[in-house]
Amino acid sequence: MADNTDRKKENRTQSARNVRPLVESMYLRAHQARERGQKVAYCMVMSQYDEILAAMDIVPVWTENYGGLCAALGTAQPFLEKAEAEGYSNLICGYARTGLGFDILRAENGEAPQTPDGGMPMPDMLLGSSIGCDTRFKWYQALGHYMDVPIYCIDVIVPPVTRNLYEIKDFYVKYQAEQLRGLVEFLEKTTGCQLDPDRLMSIIHRAEEARHWWWEAQQLCRAIPAPMTARDHFNIFVPHHFMIGEEATLDFYKELYQELKDRVDSGIGVVDNERYRLLFAGGLPPWHSMGIFSYFGSLGAVFPAQLAYPPPDPFIIPDNINDPIELMALRSFERFTYRWEQAHRGCGDFWVQHILELVPEFNIDGLVMHGVMSCRATSMGQIYYQNAVQKYAKLKTLFIGSDIVDIRTYSEAQTKIQIDTFLETVETYKSNK
Amino acid sequence: MTISSRGLERAWELYQDRLPYARMMASQGKKIIGYFCCYTPVELMTALDLVPYRIGGRTDEPVKEADAYLETCVCSYVRSAFDMAICGEYDFLHGLVVPHTCDAMWRILNIWKLHKPLDYTYFIEVPHMVGPSSCHFLEQELKLFKNSLEQLVGRKITDEALRDAIDTHNRARALLQEIYQYRKADPPLISGTEIARVLAAGRGIPVEEFNELLLQVIHDIRTRESESRRKKPRVLIYGGEVDDPAIIELIEECGAAVVMDDLCTGSRSFWEPVNLKENAMESLAAHYVEDIRCPRTFRPGKPEERFLYLLDFARDFNVQGIILYLYRFCDGHALEAPGLKAYLNRKGFPVLHLEEEYTLLTKGQLRTRFQAFIETLG
Ligand code: SF4
Ligand code: SF4
Repeated sequence: MADNTDRKKENRTQSARNVRPLVESMYLRAHQARERGQKVAYCMVMSQYDEILAAMDIVPVWTENYGGLCAALGTAQPFLEKAEAEGYSNLICGYARTGLGFDILRAENGEAPQTPDGGMPMPDMLLGSSIGCDTRFKWYQALGHYMDVPIYCIDVIVPPVTRNLYEIKDFYVKYQAEQLRGLVEFLEKTTGCQLDPDRLMSIIHRAEEARHWWWEAQQLCRAIPAPMTARDHFNIFVPHHFMIGEEATLDFYKELYQELKDRVDSGIGVVDNERYRLLFAGGLPPWHSMGIFSYFGSLGAVFPAQLAYPPPDPFIIPDNINDPIELMALRSFERFTYRWEQAHRGCGDFWVQHILELVPEFNIDGLVMHGVMSCRATSMGQIYYQNAVQKYAKLKTLFIGSDIVDIRTYSEAQTKIQIDTFLETVETYKSNK
Repeated sequence: MTISSRGLERAWELYQDRLPYARMMASQGKKIIGYFCCYTPVELMTALDLVPYRIGGRTDEPVKEADAYLETCVCSYVRSAFDMAICGEYDFLHGLVVPHTCDAMWRILNIWKLHKPLDYTYFIEVPHMVGPSSCHFLEQELKLFKNSLEQLVGRKITDEALRDAIDTHNRARALLQEIYQYRKADPPLISGTEIARVLAAGRGIPVEEFNELLLQVIHDIRTRESESRRKKPRVLIYGGEVDDPAIIELIEECGAAVVMDDLCTGSRSFWEPVNLKENAMESLAAHYVEDIRCPRTFRPGKPEERFLYLLDFARDFNVQGIILYLYRFCDGHALEAPGLKAYLNRKGFPVLHLEEEYTLLTKGQLRTRFQAFIETLG
């Protein structure tokens, strides 16, 4: 892995440093749970079912996370090659190729590869969804050819921005609730345990509290100088995405908030001389080469916000809903449509709308997008975002091209030259501002 | 070409002249509505005398302008189609309808609208799952789509008009089924290339006109002078929006008879009729959720059960080899292919798995691959 660039310049948070041990313990706990006979499920992020799993003591293994982990630790290559040898195109999602390669090796050798973090434990079920990309349900369908475990997928439905929300709300929420109920029925059948709605409700409350603290912590990043490095941003989402509902996760975000607050109060920034404030506005991070963000830092460029894993938008739990599934369905709708009305009235696109909101709030001077060759979902539209944003703000965009996992398509030297040139244009933009 | 082929000739002309023909219809006051994929309920457009026009690309030209607006990680079919729009070739369109079928479809409408504004656009959220709740959801979606079309035209779709439209499209489906049956003979009574041209012609004309064309084609096939034709290896082609008959023609030039397809532009779009019940909108929704066998829809069950229909196709049409002709950057098909290939191999079918660009600028390498595969089929 190419992760040694200008590390000394970084002023990383303790909170972000705490994430790696959490991840190690997450995999360890999953292995132990499996040995104890507790049910383990392969899962996809953002599928809106996280709290249900927690309430049913089903141990989630987030297969996208494993792909990112392998990339960051430089251990993905044999898995990618295995998947490709099996006929999987080198253009499909890097996480999926990593995960498929891993599990095909497990199926062939009778035991799972042990690195990193002891590998992923054998799941009892595969839980996909349609949220955000085709891969999130096709991957598990493909995996079904190598392991004989039940597969269950749900629709997670994102309303088109052009719609009148009042017109669609009822049937969108109803469908989402029905999809979640179908999942609960499947889980109850597979595990032989009943979902306890009260327990689910209390987990939802704890999860929302954690989300609240993360969101508040993110707002602190409006400060100049920015209190958190880009790499920290790309670490601190982990407890939320992979361990939601746990006490430790809630504590994590409270501590993150406090740490950032202390930094902001004392004027502690990421770099000594903050010159440029950039928004990571499209794509997912190049996990194989995260050191590149330190290169930005060494040139005085910081990332106060990012759109790869932003904190979920605020949601206030209404007191008149007693059914937790109903609540989860409503929450999903409200979150997905958080800025729909503004987008509807203005630029017409929710992503562009989000960028346009963050630019003044976080004092952004330029945009950076990572075109991920193997991820249509986060890469298609980046040129459009740049063009649409221009109508409202004359910000320049740096387009970096590589992959989330596959380092074979990446050139560090070339990326650094691109960054140098880009920051010159940002300088011009700032002086004309 | 045999002597009695008026329908087939007409199909070929219609396909070649599809753009001028659409322009002519537009100049005569018809509203032409572009649409993508098998998941757009064309019946609703037909019920209002709108002409649904399936958006295609150009396999014979490189992408010229679209590179400036679309990332290279987008499938080249969408890039090519969008390129045509940018270059003004779709200026006859009054509107554009996009169903959420794959990631590329999810994003293309806003990009299109920014660079090529249209009078009317609509995005349909299509469930990726099957089952009663998905059908009910799509029914609500389709009701809103119907309202929006009614507003566009300024009149309501009566139940009778909708039922008529469904019947007319079902008629097209039935006639196509009938034509496909002629492929079962050995050698087939209609070539894969001919059928591809008929299907291609149908994508740009009103369905009533298409039905007349299909009747003519059936007449042609029935009254053809029998030729002493050589038996050839029988091949099924599987893939996405393979809309240019040139691909099928190339395979047939290489010595095979393409006797069946599972393509978005072929059987996948018409194999099952709309099962018209008392509630027409409900019937339509159930059809679009349940009946179309596309990898973009998840079906519960044992992984291999989703391939059973294909095995039936292969057996019913006495297929000897299967070509998976996939486009680069098409995730739905790419994630399906290895499992499908292994399954078909286990069932005794040799499989050629290709991942290609949509554009067919150089055929040499492809020809070599097809020839090598077809030779192994004997
Ligand atoms: S969003 Fe992209 S990276 Fe994530 S699972 Fe889907 S295809 Fe893979
Ligand atoms: S070819 Fe594949 S990626 Fe392209 S539009 Fe069709 S389904 Fe989508």
